[in-house]
Order: sequence, then structure tokens, then C-alpha cells
Amino acid sequence: MEYELILANITQRPMRTFISIVGVALGVVLVVVVVGLSRGMLKEQGRRNSNFGAEIIFRRPGALSFTSTSGLSMPVQYGPKLAQIEGVSMVSPLGQYLKQSSQGFGVELVDGIDFPTYVRVSSIRIVEGGPFETEMDVIVDRVYSRNKNVVVGSKVEIFGRQFRVVGIYEPEVGARIKMQLDTMQRLLGAKERCSYFYVKCVDPALQEEVAKRINAQLPGNQIIFVRDIPVLYERGSKALNTFLQVVIAVALIVSTLVILLSMYTTIIERTREIGILKSLGASRSFIVRTIQQEAILISILGVLLGYLLAVAVREVVMQYTALIVDIELKWMLYAGLIGIISGFLGSLYPALRAAAQDPIKAISYE
Amino acid sequence: MSEKKVIETIDLKMTYKAGKVAVHALRGVDLVVEQGEFVAIMGPSGCGKSTLLHILGCMLKPSSGKVVIDGEDVSNMSEQERTEVRRRKIGFVFQKFNLFPTLTAEGNIRLAERIRKNGRLPDSGGVSMSEILKLLNLEGRLHHKPAEMSGGEQQRVAIARALVNHPAIVLADEPTGNLDSEHSQIVLNMFKQLNEKFGQTILMITHSEEAASVASRILRMRDGRILQ
Repeated sequence: MEYELILANITQRPMRTFISIVGVALGVVLVVVVVGLSRGMLKEQGRRNSNFGAEIIFRRPGALSFTSTSGLSMPVQYGPKLAQIEGVSMVSPLGQYLKQSSQGFGVELVDGIDFPTYVRVSSIRIVEGGPFETEMDVIVDRVYSRNKNVVVGSKVEIFGRQFRVVGIYEPEVGARIKMQLDTMQRLLGAKERCSYFYVKCVDPALQEEVAKRINAQLPGNQIIFVRDIPVLYERGSKALNTFLQVVIAVALIVSTLVILLSMYTTIIERTREIGILKSLGASRSFIVRTIQQEAILISILGVLLGYLLAVAVREVVMQYTALIVDIELKWMLYAGLIGIISGFLGSLYPALRAAAQDPIKAISYE
Repeated sequence: MSEKKVIETIDLKMTYKAGKVAVHALRGVDLVVEQGEFVAIMGPSGCGKSTLLHILGCMLKPSSGKVVIDGEDVSNMSEQERTEVRRRKIGFVFQKFNLFPTLTAEGNIRLAERIRKNGRLPDSGGVSMSEILKLLNLEGRLHHKPAEMSGGEQQRVAIARALVNHPAIVLADEPTGNLDSEHSQIVLNMFKQLNEKFGQTILMITHSEEAASVASRILRMRDGRILQ
């Protein structure tokens, strides 16, 4: 490898090299942060939704995903029917609403709960303050209280209205903010409706038999085992996976174009030097390899900078927003690979073009 | 002097197309340069000197005729094959020095060495690098970049680079064209010493009678032919 020549070339135009490095780094940041954001939110949601005393979720057909106001589609009348099925110990209806984060960036999920049954089905307990007193009360978990600097008596805005925080609960289960289901139904105009039911079994070991009975007696609905939720969330939806593929493609294209442009201008500027190499007897492969190694070195530096920036972005995002960025080693490696592939692809055309130059014309280039 | 032919051309012709007009740069050049010779080629601009040098340096393929470099017929070789011959057998010295501005003198010399090694060519022996550097008085300038050196020093680095792989022939294209008379004389003396002390075969094209006078043989060209 022509390390000396490559390093000399890289340091010859520090600003251009820096811009190229930043271009690759941005591609890496794009992949690491967007994937981390998507997967972080899903994993966190999956973890909290599975941290529950019930074994079964009973809901309308459809993929497990974040829902908005349209999520209150299941009649609460299913509740008594579920409760009568053999093996069912308790049933609690739950509404879910996705709201804009109070910090303006990101979203937050709000649960509408039937407090008496929810407390018995789940394992939550109020550790500060108390339960709902009025319909405009909410309870929040410890993490929300700490991150958003919310205490008992604070106000939070949901549906454009001010709600009073009356209690702080533990452990983290489902959404971090919970209001009464009746209030959510009224504010969303979805009376007697909920998003789904948590079903607690008499004997958790027999949950599959209970699920079969529910399916037999209330067919046409979706039954999800709470134990499967983390996996379902981690797998993500088809739409999300497509989105991530698009992000990766965009990152690859952007990084490739940055390297292509940089190396193209480089070889134009170094036409005479390429002519000198040819006069010294450098083969086409030597010239291609030298240019590609330079581009790949720039890409490696870009990948390393991208990792640092991604970690910094993660810290800032998690500090100042409700979003969660879960940076996984696997995706960092993918992002790094994308950066290096972009270096290879972006420099291929300039390198081949340089190698194909006429030595006499190149050496007399001014 | 050895009678081994380092360069032999037979009825060498080169015709360019300049639009619809055919330009006959070489009109049948017959030339023999034997090992250990120092040949100067003189002639007016446009007489075909540079074209001849480029063909002898395997950078250009002739339209017709035969070119043999150190026993290898390069007339019909592919570009890749000619590059290989250039790497093994030819050292270039240019008027404008053509050093890499980003590399030190040593870096420039080592680059040529590595290009040869990259072609997996064994050391061909001959004059040692230390002897070349001593002769060219470059030992104290190896860590300087071209911008930090005078024109004469740069040209000496270029000569060292041309010699590092012990070529069969050094082709010099107006090597003193960018130098003042003092540095020109130094460079020419070095060519002469390389030729006399180490038997290096040199073919130099020049406009300068003074430069040509250091050569052991002077050839003159006109209208694409070597005058007898």
C-alpha cells in the first residue's frame, strides 16, 4: 500500500478531506440514529408492555403497533364476556392515545385505564400522591417524573387540556402517563370503547388453553401473549423495516456521492501526478488501488467520526426529548460497512477514469 | 563500449490526426543506441523529437515500423505490456522535473522503487542507491519537499528517481530547459558522470548546443527524420 502517498494526498487538501469525512459521517449518523431511534422506541415500548401481571392481550385484528385516537375501536362490552370464560381470573380494558411530546419533539403514549381493575391485573402501586380524584387527573411513572421534572401537583397537557399529576406509580408498565379510561373515551368521542383488554389467567401455565377458549367463544379477534411482546416489538412492522431500508439506501447514496465528488475533483486536480505515476511504470491496477485506498481511508475516518457523532446525538436526544435511541453494535457495524462500501463505490469511477488517462496528455496537464 | 543494442528503431513512423489533416510526426526513423552510449538528439520545434522520445519511452504506440527496447520488440505491444517494459527498463527525466509536490525527495525516489516492486520485479542490481545519492549530492536534501528545493536540486532528485530501478536507458526530455546556466551545468555534469562512471545509457533531447556537447554522440532531426 502506498501509505506515504495516500497520507500526503489526504493532508494536501485538509478542508476537502474534512468535508468528505463529514459526508460519510453523516451517512453513518443517519443509519445509527434513525435505526436506534426506531428500535429503541419499539424495544422500550415492548419491555414496558410486557412488564405486566396479565398473560393475554385481547384486541381487534391488526398488527401490534402504536395506535392513535382510532385505536379505541374495541367495545368494552367484551369485558364481562371475557371474564366469564373458564380460566380467566380478571380482565381490564385499556385505551391508548399517542400524543405530541410536551417538549415538542417526539411522541408520548398515554394509557386510559380502569383504575380498580388495572391495579389488580397489573402490579403497579402508587408510591407518591394518590389515585385519581377527578377526571382531569393523571398518574405518571417514576422515570417520567424524573425526566420531565414532574411532581405531584404539576400540570401536563393532553388533548390540549391541562391535567393535574396526582400520583407517581411503580414499576414501569405500559405508557408512562395514565389517565382514566372514561376521560379518554369522552375526550376522544369513543364512548364505551377501548383499545384492548388485558386478561389475567387463574393459572399462567395454562394461558394457551385459555387463549383457545377465548378464540372459540369470541372469534375474529386477535390474541397476543404478553410474553411475546418484546419479540414482536423488536421485529417491528413491515412498514418500519421498509423505512429503515430506505434510510440505509439514502445513507449509502449520500456517502457514495460525497466520495464520488471528492475523488473526482481530486483526480482532475492530480492529472499531472497520475501522468507521473504512469511515466514511472505504474500499472492501471496500482493507480486504481491507490485512489481507492485513499477513499477508503477517508471513509474509515468518516465512520469513526460518525460513531462519535451518533453517540453525541443519542445523548442530546435522550436528554432533551422523550425519544429513546438504542444504539446496537450490529447496526453500528452495518453503518460502518455502508460507509466503507460508499468509499469503494464512490471512488471506483474516478479511479478507473484516472487509470485510463493518456500518460502523455496527463503529464503535460497544466 | 559494449555493442549490445539498448534501442533499435527501424523505419519508425508516426502519424497523428489533427481534425481531418494527417500530421506526419515521424517519417521513417532508423536509430540504434548501444549500451553505455550518451546520445543527444537536437532539432527545431515540431521536428518529432518528443514524439520519438514518447515512443521510445513506451508511452506512445507508433503507426508503423519497429521499436526494440533492450531486446524486446515493443512495436505492437498492448498498453499494459508497454507499461511493464517502461517499469523495468526506462527511467524518465523531464524538463519540469515532475516530482510529487506532497512527497519529500526520499518519498519521490521510494515511490518509483515501490512501483517497480509492486510489479514483483527483482532488484536488477547495478549502481547502488547510496552511490547515486552521493554522486548527485542529495544526501542532505532527502527530507525536503520539492517546494523547499532549487530547480537544480529538484532535477537531481528526478534523476535519482529515474536511476533507482537501474533502467536499461534514461530518457531525458530537455532536462536543463527549466534551469539557469549554473544548475544546467551541474545537471549535465552529473549525466556525464553517470554515463562515464557507471555506464548508464542516456538519450537526451535538447535545443541547447551546450547541453548536447556533453553527449558522446549528437543526432539531428528535421521533419520527422534523423539527418545523416
